Amino acid sequence: MKNIATVFRKEFYRVVSDKRLIFTTILLPGLAIYLMYSFLGGAIGNEFEDIQSHEMIVYVGNVPDDFSDYLDTLDLNVIYTDYVASEHDEILDLILIGEVDLLLRFPTTFDSDIDGGILSDVLTYYNPGEKYSEFSYGVYMTELNTYRQSVAYDRYGEAFYVFTTDINNDEHIIIDEDKAIGQGFAMLLPMLIIMFLFSGAMSIGPDSIAGEKERGTIATLLVTPVKRSEIAIGKVLSLSVISLFSASSSFVGIILSLPKLLQGAGEEISMNIYSMGDFVMLFTVLLATVLVIVGIISIISAYAKTIKEASMLILPFYFLSIVMGMSTMFSGEAHSNIFIYLVPLYNSINIIISILTFEVVATQYILTIVSSLVYVVIFIIILNRLFESEKIMFSK
Amino acid sequence: MQTLEVKNIVKTFKLSKKQQKLEKTKEKLKVAVNDLSFTAYPGEIFGLLGPNGAGKTTCLRAISTLIKPDSGDIIVGGSSVVKDSMDVRGKIGFLTSELKLEDHFTPSYLFTYFGKLHGIDEELIEERKTVLFSRFGIDNFREVKVGDLSTGMKQKASIAISLVHNPEFVIFDEPTNGLDVLTARSVTDYLVELKNEGKTVILSTHILSVVDKLCDKVGIIINGKMKICDTLENVKKSHPSNDLEEIFFDLIEEDELGGNA
Repeated sequence: MKNIATVFRKEFYRVVSDKRLIFTTILLPGLAIYLMYSFLGGAIGNEFEDIQSHEMIVYVGNVPDDFSDYLDTLDLNVIYTDYVASEHDEILDLILIGEVDLLLRFPTTFDSDIDGGILSDVLTYYNPGEKYSEFSYGVYMTELNTYRQSVAYDRYGEAFYVFTTDINNDEHIIIDEDKAIGQGFAMLLPMLIIMFLFSGAMSIGPDSIAGEKERGTIATLLVTPVKRSEIAIGKVLSLSVISLFSASSSFVGIILSLPKLLQGAGEEISMNIYSMGDFVMLFTVLLATVLVIVGIISIISAYAKTIKEASMLILPFYFLSIVMGMSTMFSGEAHSNIFIYLVPLYNSINIIISILTFEVVATQYILTIVSSLVYVVIFIIILNRLFESEKIMFSK
Repeated sequence: MQTLEVKNIVKTFKLSKKQQKLEKTKEKLKVAVNDLSFTAYPGEIFGLLGPNGAGKTTCLRAISTLIKPDSGDIIVGGSSVVKDSMDVRGKIGFLTSELKLEDHFTPSYLFTYFGKLHGIDEELIEERKTVLFSRFGIDNFREVKVGDLSTGMKQKASIAISLVHNPEFVIFDEPTNGLDVLTARSVTDYLVELKNEGKTVILSTHILSVVDKLCDKVGIIINGKMKICDTLENVKKSHPSNDLEEIFFDLIEEDELGGNA
């Protein structure tokens, strides 16, 4: 136990006493994610704002007075120009190059057609390849639909509607808002958490074991009267703690950047919906998961001859973990099959979803924690064997 | 009994195709150490001599428990390297160029770290640190990262760290490599001190003059086999020249004429 603590402290000190490693392993992941997501959110927000603040240039022809009056009440940011038939082709060219956003033409006989019950065709011209034009088209189509309904109502009265929906139904939307937000987290976070934990462990695991083999320092450790299993446990524990720091940094980065990322959508999302109990459960799952991940990475690193080889061999496992995370991303629902909770990492992803959506089943949670710990013990036994194998430890 | 007994150890390695080409052989196995035996006693320095690739390092690695012999055993102060490797590791101080120190740490930190792994309490570690660091002139760079040290400084730090637990058995492979004359002398003097304290010392070296000056017993290994093993005096007497270098070259020549048999 004492030796485990000694190895743990030294491995931990190795990282925290190295400014470069602190920056690259602990600060950089969070900072990079924060900047990247904030930039992305900022870009989306700017685009949205840009379109909103754009002054639409719309050519109009024969607009009926009542529709014109209605448009005036809407306070749209628009400049109207009267349509002249002789300039038709020029206007279309201007729409094509994005100088004009929309041409809206009512037939000259529009009012008489409406009065006479004749189907009248309103013409619109726009360019879906231009963002302002597409936006203007959307705005005017909405208003034309409103106008169409008002004209139809004038003609047919209430009979026009045939039936209505939910005019007086206040309970129309039944939603548990916390759960809806939780569902959002459940779709986004499990994959990111596994990715963060894996990439954190990947950044230091190969150096700690394969690197020591490559540099010849592992032999110095192996001639001390310390059990190989104590070396294995000490290394796995310290790598796990550092990986957790690294993953926490990424997690903080994403939480801080969420408001900026979602500003365009105008949604408000907060982790406040979860209780302390939920966070404790989440933390225990993360701890069990990081131990499994570090166990896998340590075994590969002990097997590999060099850091480079270890990094290459770890990649397929990293991709596999991302695929596992992505497989649940679209459903945002945890599996109910109990055997799923015996599959390493996949069990963690599913139980994280359960926690985030407030649907934890006790047996599934316990199975995840216990099976993960059993895998960690198996990994440490394998690691111990690898440390004992002269072929593995001293192969060149 | 604080003796170190190497009993008929055999160690073979599989040769890769690349190694087969280098060794110009079609054999898939190389016998690195072939039925090697010798005993080193407390209060004496046992010199292990042999050309490159003779099997000296393999033998030392087996003593240090880094590798296991295919057959035979090594008994270190009553503990078997095969059955009680942990006990053996606690009794030996092993130095070889194969054992490196981590660049990121200072000699002082590593001395304490390895002291703890040997189960020594911190107070004693500090005492040993003061004595050994001053003895090998490490005080000036005790807080400098190993990565920033010269080869000689690294070697000094390695020597001190290998002795942190005051081992009964000291096994040094080319300990004066990379050291200036003064420090080399302080190391050889220290080996004599250890011997006088009743420690069992095994010294592997290429430098015949060092063997001549320091060793009480000599074993010459050629092609994995112990060609001669006796007191330095008897070894010298066995040859008309009474010169260790002549004996060494004669044994190599003899081995080559005998077709490495």
